[in-house]
Amino acid sequence: MDIGNIKKHSDLNFEVAQAKKNALEKMRSRQLMAYNERLFMADAHTISLVSTLKLHNKDFYVLDVNDNPCHVEDPNDFLNKLIERNQETLNSYQQLHQDLAKKSK
Amino acid sequence: MTTGVLMYCFDTPELNYHSLAERCVEQIRKYLKLEITIVTNLETFKKFKPLGMINYMLVENSITNTRPYRGKSVAWYNKERALAYEHSPYDTTILMDCDYFVFSSTLLELANTKFDMMLHDRVHDLTGKDMIMGKDESTLPLVWATVTLFNKNERTKAIFAMIRHVQEYYPHYRNLYRIRYLNYRNDYAFAIALHQLNLGNRIPTPMTMLADSVDVIDSDEDGIIFKHADNVMFTSGQDVHVMDKGWCNG
Repeated sequence: MDIGNIKKHSDLNFEVAQAKKNALEKMRSRQLMAYNERLFMADAHTISLVSTLKLHNKDFYVLDVNDNPCHVEDPNDFLNKLIERNQETLNSYQQLHQDLAKKSK
Repeated sequence: MTTGVLMYCFDTPELNYHSLAERCVEQIRKYLKLEITIVTNLETFKKFKPLGMINYMLVENSITNTRPYRGKSVAWYNKERALAYEHSPYDTTILMDCDYFVFSSTLLELANTKFDMMLHDRVHDLTGKDMIMGKDESTLPLVWATVTLFNKNERTKAIFAMIRHVQEYYPHYRNLYRIRYLNYRNDYAFAIALHQLNLGNRIPTPMTMLADSVDVIDSDEDGIIFKHADNVMFTSGQDVHVMDKGWCNG
């Protein structure tokens, strides 16, 4: 393989890696979700936490992204909203990921 | 409770900020659907195309500041922002630069929470070249005043009073925090005020940015296409702070 070809591959890989980083930032920013006047990330950590606490209590407290306590009185409603937002953002990321995979073939 | 967007827009001899503001208004209407107030001067106001329902507030702005832009020193009229508390007619204000373009409803999520003041303390350079954050520029935990959300109360009133004080005695505070740049920057004034008063929340995700050396080559309602060092990339559904000030002039 000549050096020109290697450079082409390197440029393409940089572009794909950066597009992936940008898409991940977009995904994280879209996962920000207001609930009961508090701010949460609809990510795997929050979903797992709420899902686990829901098994033990009818209502409970969780910390938001700024470490403020939030009283969750309807865990099912909160969990549904978190999952909905999480999957919405992941679907959008998955589409871009597929496009990038095609590009780097 | 009212929520709205407050923008400051003053054309300078070198740059037409009103073109950026016009584009910014379109995006806010599409994604945030909030009332908008533009603080401007008479000269700039006359250049705005009809934008429908906008609250304009005309002021005589300070013209004493400059900034580097693409290898030149250009005029920078940025000192009025310290008066945002007085200028804002809203209970909850999204104070936004007119070169920040919304392509999502993320700011609405932030505005629907409980806070005094909220701003970014991190940036994400879309080119991947990390051209925005310099090293050792000050001893201060920096925040970006580009997008500042605040609720009117005694604490935020004190923050803005402190910002005005910092602006008045900027050479002292610049020395105190060993800020490298000589010109007045709102980012530093806001950061100093929040540091002194130990207040303010951070927006948990970084602000997506394009440095002034990046050219925006096209855009639509959903995103922008930009070029840097022969690489052409795009954004979609992602809010972005664009430092190329000429891209809306055609």
